[in-house]
Amino acid sequence: MTATTDWHEVEARWTGTALKRKEDPRLLTGRGRYLDDVKLAGMLHAAFVRSPHAHARILGVDTSAAAALPGVYGVLTGAEARERSGSLRPLIPVPSEPPNYCLASDKVRYVGEPLAMIAAVDRATAEDAAALVAVEYEELPVVVDAERAAEPGAPLVYEEAGSNVVWHEVFEYGDVDAAFAAADEVVAERFTIHRYASTPLECFGVIADWDAGQEVLTIYTNDQRPGLTIGVIAEALRLSETQIHLITPDIGGGFGNKRRPAYIVATALLAMTTGRPVKYFEDRRENLTALMQACDGVMYLEAAVTRDGTVLALRVRDYADEGTNLISPCQHSLLKLGNMVNTYRIPAVRFEPYSVLTNKCPSGANRGIGKPFMCFALERLMDRIAERLTLDPADLRFRNLIQADQFPYETPTGALYDSGDFPATLRKALDLLGYDALREEQRQARAAGRYLGIGISTAVEPASSNLAAYVLVTGKKTSTGVGESAMVRVEPDGKARVTFGDVCSGQGYETAAAQVVADELGLHPNDVHVQPWFDSFTTPWMYSSGNYANKFATTDVGAIVGAARKIRDKIIVIAAHLLEAAPDDLELREGRVQVRGAPSQSKTVREVAQVAYRNLLALPSGLEPGLEATYFYSNPLAELPDEADRVRGQLIFTNAAHIALVEVDVETAQVQVLRYGVVHDCGKEINPLLVEGQVHGATVHGIGAALLEEFVYDDNGQILTTTFMDYLKPTATDVPTIETDRLETPSPYTPLGTKGVGEGGAIPAPACIANAVEDALRPLGVRINGLPISPNRLWPLIQEGLARQNGAASAGK
Amino acid sequence: MTQRRAIALTVNGQRYSGETDVRQSLVDFLRETCNLTGTHVGCEHGVCGACTVLVDGEGVRSCLMLAVQADGAEVLTVEGLARDGELHPLQEAFWEHHGLQCGYCTPGMLMSALELLREEPAPSEAAIREAISSNLCICTGYVNIVRAVQAAAAALQRKERT
Repeated sequence: MTATTDWHEVEARWTGTALKRKEDPRLLTGRGRYLDDVKLAGMLHAAFVRSPHAHARILGVDTSAAAALPGVYGVLTGAEARERSGSLRPLIPVPSEPPNYCLASDKVRYVGEPLAMIAAVDRATAEDAAALVAVEYEELPVVVDAERAAEPGAPLVYEEAGSNVVWHEVFEYGDVDAAFAAADEVVAERFTIHRYASTPLECFGVIADWDAGQEVLTIYTNDQRPGLTIGVIAEALRLSETQIHLITPDIGGGFGNKRRPAYIVATALLAMTTGRPVKYFEDRRENLTALMQACDGVMYLEAAVTRDGTVLALRVRDYADEGTNLISPCQHSLLKLGNMVNTYRIPAVRFEPYSVLTNKCPSGANRGIGKPFMCFALERLMDRIAERLTLDPADLRFRNLIQADQFPYETPTGALYDSGDFPATLRKALDLLGYDALREEQRQARAAGRYLGIGISTAVEPASSNLAAYVLVTGKKTSTGVGESAMVRVEPDGKARVTFGDVCSGQGYETAAAQVVADELGLHPNDVHVQPWFDSFTTPWMYSSGNYANKFATTDVGAIVGAARKIRDKIIVIAAHLLEAAPDDLELREGRVQVRGAPSQSKTVREVAQVAYRNLLALPSGLEPGLEATYFYSNPLAELPDEADRVRGQLIFTNAAHIALVEVDVETAQVQVLRYGVVHDCGKEINPLLVEGQVHGATVHGIGAALLEEFVYDDNGQILTTTFMDYLKPTATDVPTIETDRLETPSPYTPLGTKGVGEGGAIPAPACIANAVEDALRPLGVRINGLPISPNRLWPLIQEGLARQNGAASAGK
Repeated sequence: MTQRRAIALTVNGQRYSGETDVRQSLVDFLRETCNLTGTHVGCEHGVCGACTVLVDGEGVRSCLMLAVQADGAEVLTVEGLARDGELHPLQEAFWEHHGLQCGYCTPGMLMSALELLREEPAPSEAAIREAISSNLCICTGYVNIVRAVQAAAAALQRKERT
């Protein structure tokens, strides 16, 4: 007797509904439990000693005064850490692979790099002690510019690597030279992107608790990628993965930023020597200075274009400033392959990435990784092409968009776009804000001496990353594909418990996963408890487990559905046996299994569960008792790169179109966003309320990046923006209401037709704002080739424009 | 290096007395001595507003106020908003309108919104945005927070009338 459910057979009763979040009551009443709320008996508090220099040799570290301070229990120097722990295994090992320990011991390579750690009775005492550590430095020449760092003779961040360029490659997809030879026009620009980060409101932290009896290290951390981290810290601490008990509490935002295995290893070493739990929790200054920042970069972008505006090919030369990132370098460049041609039918691409180390904070994952810059550059270039050919920027885009009947569409770099209707998305966005009316408003404003501008950008939003893409960098096929794992258990009382290897950082997975499982098991979402905490001893996990790359609605859902279907099928098999019916005649809904057409013949899920756990002799003979299943899902779209280096670096594609109306005050160079519209298509939506929240938040991330946020370094590598007074986040008065509309084109490749939605807004928004600002200032001929468009950057451009205008006016007299 | 001093204050109607380091901030006193961990620390330099609580009815950054300065004061934190297991209308509205994601800014955001609605029961959207511009939310883009405060204002006014 068997029962197997087809992927699309289950009735969507709860998925698709805008259910209020299950997690909210505890978060609204102050009962969330975040890392900083976890208190262990006897817990010590740690602080780092950090480098004030961007590049210096460490000549000596004297910790005697710190160690003698009352209340200090432990001191760890870089030299000791190097003895007691191994180098941290990178996600993407670059060929030169210099060693990377949890604390600096020979050199410091960026301002804020930790070189010693103190554990004390409280944080204030630990900081007092850290201030007593005397470090002797020999300052070294500094390099903070990626193009300069790539040149021969530049100061070397890692001497043993022999070069600051950790990755340089030339990829040729299609006949690029022929396309450029055939082009009527070549439009070329140099674009730059700055350093910024999402800066979740909760900082990163860790509590390490070494149980010397069981020899188990319990780690509480708000790390976003436990699947990766567990192996890295086990290896560095020379422990087995069976000895690492990693728990993530409620997480106060992530966006890619929350990860730093080095901090976990250092804290664990102190917990082991002091014999007490040790907590390290970043303060905001440490977070802004030293946790991680998105790469800044430079891109030389050229397009071969025909007279009617058809883009034939692109040449992309990309410099990513990785800072001192040895954990995941090359990511920012590599992931651009996923959206290199964006929403357009561009048949040929040459891509030349340089990943370069400099004396800056390590780069790392940040909402969209590299794709916001790719989109910014290409969507800026599309506007320049339109200008050159005197076409409306919307018309130019319609001319090049991939059409609805072309899906699935394979881009020249190997990305497989699963579904969508890009022209419909753009049309809807233009309608959302009334494009023609906006143009009329702009004409009237210009006549009145005001500078109004309209920006448009389109975007694909890739979801779920395929680790096999890194083969292009490393040549090693040791980590490939992407998966997630989930456990679903129906308890004896008929209610379900769910846990999976992703860790929620605010997206509402307790609700979304409950909706999915409720449909699968015919339960009410209130009867599905999704564990908010990841616990490596009870949650199934794999290498790719974690919260990143937009993977919940694509890969995680595959695991959750997979586990739930095993239980669904088992419930039906047991009920069929109890009801003496054939499984195919049964249906599971509203908490009971019933014979189709004869609902009086039924068993509740609770009754089935009671049998499964305690009335074992009533089970079908040979059937394993219990209603618990684990499922490891491997995303079936992931493949190795082909011989032509084409790769599905990311697997499922949401799309969006953004439109903005801005006004620039030429007296103050202040940009005001008057209206902002987003139309998105993320396939089947599990919960429209959550989807819209993601769209709002990500879009404001992009607007913040475009107008406000920037990590500023001086030529000596000193970071000048270490508080929220200097590193400006958007407040409620900086942004308008984000107006939204949607399409819902299901993905044919995911179990429920869902796609990713967490990063989308952050990808096209910087381009959209820049396009709008340049459009506003077109009468002055102002060019926006870099971000952020802060008043101090825009002011001189406006002044130059006004001077040109005045010069032209006086020349004309 | 540090001095200690005895203080007594009322938090959410309950009296707390104890010794504190003179350099301890109010937020650390609330979180550590009172064990009220609902108030969060986001920047410790008075910009993000996550630690906002009401002291004698006025919104303050509890990371910038020393615990000794609150001696004798009445403090209201997020834990004091719900009464008898019933959510405050602001909490209800944030739930209904998806006005929170990670929840880290939420306690401070609720307290700033409460202060606004006590002073201005029917605020315009601009007034709401102005009032909550004291608090950073990284997740929501503020859209649904504004909607939630508008809804709470309407609900509180309905409640007033009945």
